[in-house]
Amino acid sequence: MRAQQRSVFAAICLLATIATPCLAGSRLLATGGISSFEGSAGGGITPWAMIAGYSSGEEIAATANVQVLDTGEYQLKTFGAAIGFYDRVELSVQRQTLDISSGVVSNVFNLLTAGAIDTAPGTQINQDIVGLKIRLAGDAVYATHWWQAQISAGLQYKKNRDFDTSLAISNGSVPLPGIGVPPLLGATKDKGTDFYLSASRLWLGGAWGNNVLANVTARMTKANTFGLLGFESATEEDYQLEWEGSLAILPSPSLAVGVEWRTQSNKLGGLAEEKTVTDFFIAYFPDKNWSLTAAYVDLGSLPFEKSATGFYLTATVNL
Amino acid sequence: MKTVALFFSLFLLTGCNSLQDNKSLYDDIGGIKTLDKVFGLSLHKIYKDPLLADKFKDVPKRHLRLMLTEQTCELIGGPCVYDGMSMSEAHSEAVVTEAEFYRLVEHVQKSMRQIGLSFQQENLILAKLAPLKEQIVYQVKD
Repeated sequence: MRAQQRSVFAAICLLATIATPCLAGSRLLATGGISSFEGSAGGGITPWAMIAGYSSGEEIAATANVQVLDTGEYQLKTFGAAIGFYDRVELSVQRQTLDISSGVVSNVFNLLTAGAIDTAPGTQINQDIVGLKIRLAGDAVYATHWWQAQISAGLQYKKNRDFDTSLAISNGSVPLPGIGVPPLLGATKDKGTDFYLSASRLWLGGAWGNNVLANVTARMTKANTFGLLGFESATEEDYQLEWEGSLAILPSPSLAVGVEWRTQSNKLGGLAEEKTVTDFFIAYFPDKNWSLTAAYVDLGSLPFEKSATGFYLTATVNL
Repeated sequence: MKTVALFFSLFLLTGCNSLQDNKSLYDDIGGIKTLDKVFGLSLHKIYKDPLLADKFKDVPKRHLRLMLTEQTCELIGGPCVYDGMSMSEAHSEAVVTEAEFYRLVEHVQKSMRQIGLSFQQENLILAKLAPLKEQIVYQVKD
């Protein structure tokens, strides 16, 4: 699987390198946003109503991305690609790989065995996400009235690939065969589909002449910690409504600085307690070929990391 | 979360004020002279652009420059009165695609920068022109 992952990644990079000199898409710089960590075009942690890439109503454009988020005990690496059709439909695929430190896994066994086992190697949770977004109405940049926004509806189908990947202890034996981290923490499903509605607007000259971007997304989801910890729980099988938002100011043609938030319902409780995620980001758009975003993310709480914060870096290439 | 709230309220307090504040924009940029220069340079680029030139081959450059200058002057609070055709009327003969429209905007953007307008002045002018898009793109009725 690792080799396969690497070859997909290599293919994307190669494609990106070949396509870099040519411009696909004529929309204005930065109006395609970046790739979120779930693959949909948007901010870093939430989709926007914008369609990936810079395609106008007559064009098709694509993007590819690589991202990494490091909180210390956890490292999330993710990569993927998206295609925007005629500034109307967006299709995206994303692979997420969460590396969990040996310290966290050791703590899990320590707790489960009441101290009998207290060392174990780290583990990994992979998740695939296929996204679809459709622009329903509006134009985020060229709206007629100040209160109008671009509205899109989307879905993210998520499949956790390590729902039943057992944890090993240091001597290589597997005490709980067929039970991965998500069910261990109380999740009952390995896949789920999120549905969301996004409203985005870029106000030209909105703050002291600088452009201002605002986005609000409402999401229906059954996921635990974005699906990385599975879906649903024994006591909660229904969709929950979550609110997400981004607010950014663009002080120069190539720079966006802003904040984001994303609420999460706490379905599993205990170790996997979920809190609102926030981030502060700086995105750099040197030209329409690529962008680089750095962020400081506060994930709230993760199992055995009560205060999970870290740096996030993402590169989006426009093909 | 606190920083998010702070950031947000900062925008709410100041954002809308500057949206409305265009009284001095016309004077701020140097009035009609600057606009005339901006559109002179823009049209120079547009008429030379192989992707756009065809669309403009029957449009007298000098007249268009005057119309664009007059219209923008009025939109940003200058003392002009635009008495040309409505935008949808002016674009009812040949289809303007979105891609062509965006390319044109980029030429105007670039020209404003080259003439020496600040990014903020550029955005405030574009904000006044942006709502015209829906009267320009795909106006040809069949």
